[in-house]
Amino acid sequence: MSKIVVLGAGISGHVAASHLRRKLGKEHEVVVVSPNSNYQWIPSNIWVGIGRMKSQQILFPLKPLYKKKNIGFIQAKAMSFHPEGDATETKPYVMVEYVTGSEKGKQEKVSYDYLINGTGPKLNFEATEGLKPGTNKAYSVCTYTHADEAWGGLKALIEEMKNGKKAKILIGTGHAKATCQGAAFEYILNVEQELRRHKVRDMAEITWISNEYQLGDFGMDGMLLSYGKKSMESNEMLEMIFKDRGIKWILGAGVTKIEDGEAHYENLEGEYKSEKYDFAMLIPSFSGHGFKAYDKNQEEITEKLFKGFMIVDADYTAKPYEEWSVKDWPETYQNPSYPNIFAPGIAFAPPHSISKPRKSTNGTEIFPAPPRTGMPSGITAKIVADNIIDSIKGNKTSLKHKGSMGNMGAACIASAGYGTFSGSGVSITTYPIVPDYEKYPDTHGRQLGKTFGEIGLAGHWLKLALHYAFIYKAKMKPFWWLIPE
Amino acid sequence: MSETAKISGFQRFVMRNPIIQFFKFIILSLKVLIIVAGGHGGTRG
Repeated sequence: MSKIVVLGAGISGHVAASHLRRKLGKEHEVVVVSPNSNYQWIPSNIWVGIGRMKSQQILFPLKPLYKKKNIGFIQAKAMSFHPEGDATETKPYVMVEYVTGSEKGKQEKVSYDYLINGTGPKLNFEATEGLKPGTNKAYSVCTYTHADEAWGGLKALIEEMKNGKKAKILIGTGHAKATCQGAAFEYILNVEQELRRHKVRDMAEITWISNEYQLGDFGMDGMLLSYGKKSMESNEMLEMIFKDRGIKWILGAGVTKIEDGEAHYENLEGEYKSEKYDFAMLIPSFSGHGFKAYDKNQEEITEKLFKGFMIVDADYTAKPYEEWSVKDWPETYQNPSYPNIFAPGIAFAPPHSISKPRKSTNGTEIFPAPPRTGMPSGITAKIVADNIIDSIKGNKTSLKHKGSMGNMGAACIASAGYGTFSGSGVSITTYPIVPDYEKYPDTHGRQLGKTFGEIGLAGHWLKLALHYAFIYKAKMKPFWWLIPE
Repeated sequence: MSETAKISGFQRFVMRNPIIQFFKFIILSLKVLIIVAGGHGGTRG
């Protein structure tokens, strides 16, 4: 009998737990440890943030589902890692702390045979002074509660605009090294459409602010896309969309400080500037959770497990941008020091950024961190689960399932406005996610045809279809596993 | 830098026309499925 502990119940944690439970016999134990009581389909948060979906539509409680499916659930947060056990516990364990109910604050050792770290990122709002969701007129859509708050702020502003107020709206990234530009991109287009729907578009100046060097970088160094019968750079596509929607942009901006209605930033030219706003949605930087690890003698061994995020089978050797290779990226998400620990999704430490690193003339690093969206999170979690299943069933370590982000496609179906017939979407697929300049030297490291862009109502329908399909899948309803990650 | 492309009136019509977009939806779904479910692997040979 094996016990697999999954930390986190986001996309990667939940996908891993679901597949493990489906493919392993009842004699094996699957336990999910998460401080959150609900599963949330994060990609639909942007619709909660414009009031077109209720947060209840994008979440469901985990406890009843896990009980029904025979998956253990501990509503607690991980505190420290003990991959060798200790003097009293021979098995490796994770120290967790309960976050709710009568046991709140109680710490417990959760032992395991295999550990999947699917804790995702810490939303590091503290890294930007004054950036706290719901304060200083700045909001976030990173969680459903943040998105609810954002809609509250936007709704109030729309009412003021209806009464004649001219408003400035600022949407983008709130830190020099933030990622997840895609979510901000979706939100700015949805906000723009909602203002038109409320007939106040002409009262608002909408500005995109981002740490990207060019529009459409998305933390992926941009891409050359097939668009209709021609090819187009992603920056050209976004420029076309923003100009069409009357959206201004500020690029190469590392936001350093937020005050009430004012964002301060440094740009790549080394200038210190500020932008006033009446409503802002700024994505924070992501960081690891600051976990510590200890060996059996209680000596700290954090550097064996973490490098901010968790260390996996990537090549972390420091080298200049010109020497970066797609081969640096991990394939199995296994920790090299402790082979029974894995970190799929956003929990693993990337070997380096995907976008070219850039510094301002003052030496400040301003460029996006690598994004790892829902699709690769799900795929990498399934790879990890499949390897663990094979290892348990074959009674020996198996790593035959591999999935590097350099040999994996992803689709970013970006909503550009909500509405059955008035909606729109910008659908971008990329293959591979991490550019492979050896394989595709003439097309910016990506395969044209598999890397394409489409704009139109179909994109909105597809995003909506994915919303329902993935919530169905996450609820583990009949034949859920037929829906790919 | 090249001059920014503009979304023409015809392109806008295509983007908004529900009948055309229905067929685009089918094609787009299949293309996305092929790319995403089309497999993945390592890069180190």
